[in-house]
Amino acid sequence: MKKLLTGNEAVAEGIIESGTEVVCGYPGTPSTEVIQTLLPKAKELGIHIEWSVNEKVASEIATAASWAGKRAIVTMKMSGLNVASDSLCSIIYSGCRGGLVIYVVDDPGVSAGMVEQDSRYYAKLGVAPMLDISSQQESLDFVKLAFEVSEKIKGPVFLRSTASISHVASDVKIGKRVELKREAHFERDISKYTKPKASWCMNQHQDSLTRLNEASKIVDSRVNQVHLEGKYGVIVSGAAWENFQEAVNRYNLKLSWLKIGIVNPLPDEKIKEFLKDIDKLLVLEELEPFIEAEVMRISFLSGKKIDILGKFDGTLSMMGSYSFKEIKKSLEALLKVKLESEQNSEIIKRAEELEVKRPTSFCIGCPHRGTYYAINKAIKKLKYKKKDIIVTGDIGCTILGMNKPFETCWTEVAMGASIGLAQGFKWAGIEKPVLATIGDSTFFHAGIPPLINAVYQNVSLTIIILDNGWTAMTGFQENPGTIPLKDTNPMRIDIVEVCKGCGAKDISVIDPYHLKESIDVIAEAIEHPGVSVVVSRRECALQSRRRKVNLPKLKVNPDKCTGCRVCLSSLACPAMIFHPKDKKGLMEITSSCNGCGLCKDVCPEEAIEVIKDAV
Amino acid sequence: MQYNIYLAGVGGQGVVRLSEIIARYAMEKGKRVKFYKEIGLAQRGGPVHCEVRIGDVFGPRIPPLSSNIMVIMELSEVLKALELIKPKGVVILNKKKVYPIDMMAHPERYPKQEEIIKLLNDAKAEIIWIDAEKIALEVGLPIAENNVLLGALSSISSFDKECILNVLRKSIPREIDKNIAAFNKGYEVVNPIR
Ligand code: SF4
Ligand code: SF4
Repeated sequence: MKKLLTGNEAVAEGIIESGTEVVCGYPGTPSTEVIQTLLPKAKELGIHIEWSVNEKVASEIATAASWAGKRAIVTMKMSGLNVASDSLCSIIYSGCRGGLVIYVVDDPGVSAGMVEQDSRYYAKLGVAPMLDISSQQESLDFVKLAFEVSEKIKGPVFLRSTASISHVASDVKIGKRVELKREAHFERDISKYTKPKASWCMNQHQDSLTRLNEASKIVDSRVNQVHLEGKYGVIVSGAAWENFQEAVNRYNLKLSWLKIGIVNPLPDEKIKEFLKDIDKLLVLEELEPFIEAEVMRISFLSGKKIDILGKFDGTLSMMGSYSFKEIKKSLEALLKVKLESEQNSEIIKRAEELEVKRPTSFCIGCPHRGTYYAINKAIKKLKYKKKDIIVTGDIGCTILGMNKPFETCWTEVAMGASIGLAQGFKWAGIEKPVLATIGDSTFFHAGIPPLINAVYQNVSLTIIILDNGWTAMTGFQENPGTIPLKDTNPMRIDIVEVCKGCGAKDISVIDPYHLKESIDVIAEAIEHPGVSVVVSRRECALQSRRRKVNLPKLKVNPDKCTGCRVCLSSLACPAMIFHPKDKKGLMEITSSCNGCGLCKDVCPEEAIEVIKDAV
Repeated sequence: MQYNIYLAGVGGQGVVRLSEIIARYAMEKGKRVKFYKEIGLAQRGGPVHCEVRIGDVFGPRIPPLSSNIMVIMELSEVLKALELIKPKGVVILNKKKVYPIDMMAHPERYPKQEEIIKLLNDAKAEIIWIDAEKIALEVGLPIAENNVLLGALSSISSFDKECILNVLRKSIPREIDKNIAAFNKGYEVVNPIR
């Protein structure tokens, strides 16, 4: 049977089919949909699935489950692998018992912000095998294969995908679920599971190296394919594979190719064999010249001189996701032919000039709109200029505070980094106040250690925690602070209590829908010496709407509205438009309003009225 | 054989839902499918675009000059797709314009319709205009604009009408009759043109 599945959904299907019993991860584009798809089915499947607090914790949970004999998987985006790597590098040395798979998705072309990190290097650094997915079908098949390999070699296996596979859907052949109900069991073996002695560690290192070779033997003929047809050759891997095939079919190209499905260790022998018949070679892989450099090594050692096209000679870029056009161009360079012309560049240029830019801002009714408005006003109230006050931002919806009309945030680094950076600015000698803004989920993920550090070092700064109750940007996942809903975990951890526990003394709570009070409280917090924390608490507007929380209905009174546009320029709420029939430019609130009431508070003419109160 | 469909609009118009129905229809027909969606921060007013590729397809995205048909739910969004239009390919243009916030006060900054048409003509596109909003209002369901366009697309693409209606029925939670009516109106509107 076939199903229409995205790469991530196909991975979820693979997890079900391979009898996995523990699944954990942290939400992050472009990897989120694996757990998102599985979580609602957890009960029916009878397995443990969770959104963990961060990727490191998730990896540790999956690992111990595997050590107890179960099949387990952990999922994350590339940035999450940086967080998890501390534990993973050590775990890989120890190996595993039940199959243990680490699924990571890179984002060449930056579909979701952050770095174009090439996670293939982690496989080398961590000394573990890595399969590289190149289609939706492989997303499913490679999960099963990864579990098989992991159990045979008794070590964790990396499974890597990229956004242009994980987020695209295609027809995928699905199979049957194998249900494994393994007995949990773990035997004490300190020479394998601890690392106090050099000899133990080095033995473990040797074990990982041995496992690499075993993995290579198991998968070689199953994931690496060779096609021989002439002296022109292409070595291709990952997401580039699909567009390469598209080009070969479209232009009926006659060339030899080697498709590589395992990137660590690379199939040296196969590559050497392949190069024997090739005079001119193109290496197609997105991001870094990971395979290309190795191909150069192999060709050098084999003593055969081959022309190699790729990143080193500038044929291809180290940035972005390769479009069909780029792959076609590189093939034109390889074959020295012109394959097809493109759209008239004049037309494209003119169209680009005319294009309508649609900047992203907060959603309709978003509580963060109120928080950033209040921060800006508090800065003004204390007679500072906005351009003089450093506000470090963090990952998630909260970073949209860098955009118009607020332009509050200055930096974005990594989960929790806003609080660390803010301290550094103070110790560097910035005398004016420094603020950090961070979301609730981000705070739980990595914001707690820097808060403890700030309190302990007694630095003067203000931390604004924008607590909207959800991990919103990645699609509204639950986190430890989410309001417990039916069917979900009844535990809830209150951020205020966490901050108290971390030793913070000056903690206040505001409702960002109440602007006046919020401005006053933030201004006081900024003036407070030492660490001050403001928890700005209001549920994500889209979730409130979904959960049918009752909020007021508002309208603009056309007799009072003067068309001054203060509401528009200070809030930029997408629910407000110009009154369609009015020439003076009066405002109107459309039915998409989520009733936050902020516009009512900022309107100098009191023209915005509540027509129905919240129930 | 490939059939490449490009669909664009802004958040809230139902571009993704429309595209997904087409992808599911192709699956029902036993075809190979690639379904790409770009939704960004998926909020109201942000640009949204999808590509549905059917038949002997491999890559996730439509190669240059290869889109057989386009459905443009927000007029200016077609400007982001000129690279893909196949000469003589059909472009279904919805009359709707959605201004981003900074253009609301300056509607004159929105690209002129004549200029858009000129570029489309230069690209040798075959334009079909539809006022989907008006038709959706006629059937009494303003949010069914996407289904009006689905009707038009199905008619021009000679889709198996029964089959696509079945997929549509399965994918809409409520107001089935009105949605089907919207589809049928869209289907008929373009029929005489062909
Ligand atoms: S109350 Fe005003 S600011 Fe809030 S969502 Fe409605 S229109 Fe937007
Ligand atoms: S998803 Fe929720 S928190 Fe994020 S911008 Fe929209 S309303 Fe705000």
